Amino acid sequence: MLETLRKYVSGYVALSDEEFHLLADRIVVRNFDRREQLLGVGEVERYMNFVVQGLVRMYFYKGKTELITNIAKEGELVSSSASFLSATPSHYYIETLEPTILLSVTREDLDAVYQQSVRIERLGRLLTTQFVMQKEEWEHECMRLDTRERFTRFVERNPELVTRVPQKYLASYLNMKPETFSRMKNLVKKRPAINKSHVK
Amino acid sequence: MSNSVNAYTAALDHLHRYFARFEPLTKQEFDQFLPYIEVREFDKKCVVIRAGEVERHLNIVAWGLARKYLPVRGRELTIQLATEGHIIHSDLSFHYRTPSNCVIETIEPTVFFSITYENLQEAYDVFPKAERLGRLLLSDLFVKKDTRYFDQLRKDTRERFLDYVRTHPQMLQRVPQKYIASYLNIKPETFSRLKHLMRPGKR
Repeated sequence: MLETLRKYVSGYVALSDEEFHLLADRIVVRNFDRREQLLGVGEVERYMNFVVQGLVRMYFYKGKTELITNIAKEGELVSSSASFLSATPSHYYIETLEPTILLSVTREDLDAVYQQSVRIERLGRLLTTQFVMQKEEWEHECMRLDTRERFTRFVERNPELVTRVPQKYLASYLNMKPETFSRMKNLVKKRPAINKSHVK
Repeated sequence: MSNSVNAYTAALDHLHRYFARFEPLTKQEFDQFLPYIEVREFDKKCVVIRAGEVERHLNIVAWGLARKYLPVRGRELTIQLATEGHIIHSDLSFHYRTPSNCVIETIEPTVFFSITYENLQEAYDVFPKAERLGRLLLSDLFVKKDTRYFDQLRKDTRERFLDYVRTHPQMLQRVPQKYIASYLNIKPETFSRLKHLMRPGKR
């Protein structure tokens, strides 16, 4: 299990065995059934989680409507990051969609490891940069791309999620009506050769 | 604008205090960092970076006011209005070394403390405290971005307007209304209509 994490981390910094073990020693394995709530709105996020197996969604309610802000699968990080980083109450719920195994580390433990290794601190800095960039990119995409382009881009990047995640959740994540989502899906099915010039 | 030595000293002191909020930093340590910083001055309504260029600098506003926007189908969607002490740059372009989608331009005469991508990487290698400072600055940036993102999704037009004018009263004097409206994702007409809410006794 730790090997997948190690591989992920090596995409950011090269850690020696000793350095990786400093981190690994602090990690707890957490198992969840499907449809288990990991975090509620108003709670402070204690963990940064790496998904080894399963599927997790992050959402909040606007009135009575659920708005999904993130869907994380194997090999990705998931956490109510702003809450985790600032130790303030979470704006979001986190829930599993499938039985899920997470490798988790608390903020206190992470801070302790940062003190021990400047390379792990660099990893923290690079991952935090990545969070900022993903948020920026998502904001740009929502502004620049129309519905169809957002759909196409998402499907290209996450083909397996289309079958694993209930359609209404994907629609919510892409900020479209469920009807629009299924219309898009049929359109793409009929014309499997997606015109890539649409997506910059 | 009087770009006197005093003004620069004051702005650098301010920057030092800003950094020290995240990581204790002596004056000496801060001064070691100064050779990496470049001072860049722009008149008002100057383009700092165009779409298609690769962002070379991370800028911190010493004084002045700059706007970042995304050109989309003939419209300019304002993403950020940066004042004294704020970081503004085309971040995706800076980080990934790809052409910028965004444009940054000044609204007022503006002075930036800027650091190039190469200098920043070197600073991370040279200064032991830079990693922590960088990580904590970025965490703070992320939390602010997330708050804005969440507010855009959750708050209605009226709430976005009222919360913004209450927390940024001076911006209405400094920034053309259409830019603030765009930043808040409110139609200019609606924005004008909402201004009556600002009169005393109307809240």
